[in-house]
Amino acid sequence: MLLPRLRRFARALTADVNDADDLVQIAVERALTRGAQLRPDAPLSSWMFGIVRNAWLDELRARGRRARLFAPEESAEQIGDASQGAHADLLAVQEALARLPEEQRAAVALVLIEGLSYKEAAHIMEVPIGTLTSRLARGREALQEMLGETTGALR
Amino acid sequence: MNFSDETVMAYADGELDAARRAALEAAMATDPQLAQRVARHLALRARLRAALDPVLDAPLPERLLASVRGAPKHTANVVALKRQAAPRWSWPQWGAIAASLVGGALLGPLLLRAPAGPALLTRDGQVPASGALARALNEQLASHQPPGAPVQIGVSFRARNGDYCRTFVLGEQSTLAGLACRGHEAWRLEVLAQTPVQPAAAAGYRPAGSALPASVARTLDELIAGEPLDAAGEAAARSRGWQP
Repeated sequence: MLLPRLRRFARALTADVNDADDLVQIAVERALTRGAQLRPDAPLSSWMFGIVRNAWLDELRARGRRARLFAPEESAEQIGDASQGAHADLLAVQEALARLPEEQRAAVALVLIEGLSYKEAAHIMEVPIGTLTSRLARGREALQEMLGETTGALR
Repeated sequence: MNFSDETVMAYADGELDAARRAALEAAMATDPQLAQRVARHLALRARLRAALDPVLDAPLPERLLASVRGAPKHTANVVALKRQAAPRWSWPQWGAIAASLVGGALLGPLLLRAPAGPALLTRDGQVPASGALARALNEQLASHQPPGAPVQIGVSFRARNGDYCRTFVLGEQSTLAGLACRGHEAWRLEVLAQTPVQPAAAAGYRPAGSALPASVARTLDELIAGEPLDAAGEAAARSRGWQP
């Protein structure tokens, strides 16, 4: 079942549960009206991840805050009442992901969270593999720093 | 030997070829710092997965399910109203996408909204197999597949509720695969999905159970009780008309 994976990917991209489900819904609707563009040599999952990511880029453009998604106020409230470790950790990870530039966040989400190969991730992001790996490396470094610092505070 | 950050990262991501992987693993055994660099990458991946994986098990919101269910209505109306105009794409492809998105649970309602295709029929909210597919499910043994048959049977097995179920691949291009279980009167489709692309697949021969889309493999895992039937068990089940 692909839908839960699309939700996880969308959650990593948007760092917001409502944005994520809006995004998946838009992507599903696009996919079901654009089935003819499905290339027989590309796996369905890659095609769908690409649609989700492109829909998110469209949304960011529309919002005019393409480079950086700030943590919304409601997240601060959620952190306040998030006593369970798992939920706190999800918020910490989401917040760290949200601070990455979009192209680093997408690379991290596709390779580290979705477990795709460099080749598949580069194909979905429509960049050469070298570009993908350098975005991935920078995204990783930034996450290590952010999460290394925040883990103790949130736990 | 020194390993660049890029190489260590590629190792942690499973992207090194066998020779370079072996070299790095050998070096790790005597170089704790190198092992630590690798561990740092693996720990980050584990942390991200631990935080986000619960999303996979969260119940799907109704609006998402509705978006998958509702979309083809428009397509179906267009096809019905303008019979001369070719639909932009055929229903098996749409069905495959939708089935991959949601798995077997929703396939009944999905196919009911789609135009009937050559090998499948919808009836009473269930999705019984008919035509060539039903014949193959009834008659064809995995151990004796006619060459060039439109349906190739994968594995046959008993489900936990006692019913017999079989996986299959449809079409010469083998673009659709599914799983059907035998009820009292007919085979019910549990799931139908697009098959993974296999550019190097040997012509005419497909080992049982291979090339199954993840959604079909998962349905198999969920349903199966014990092991798949061997050739003798399959023949015996056929002679009983696939009744428990």
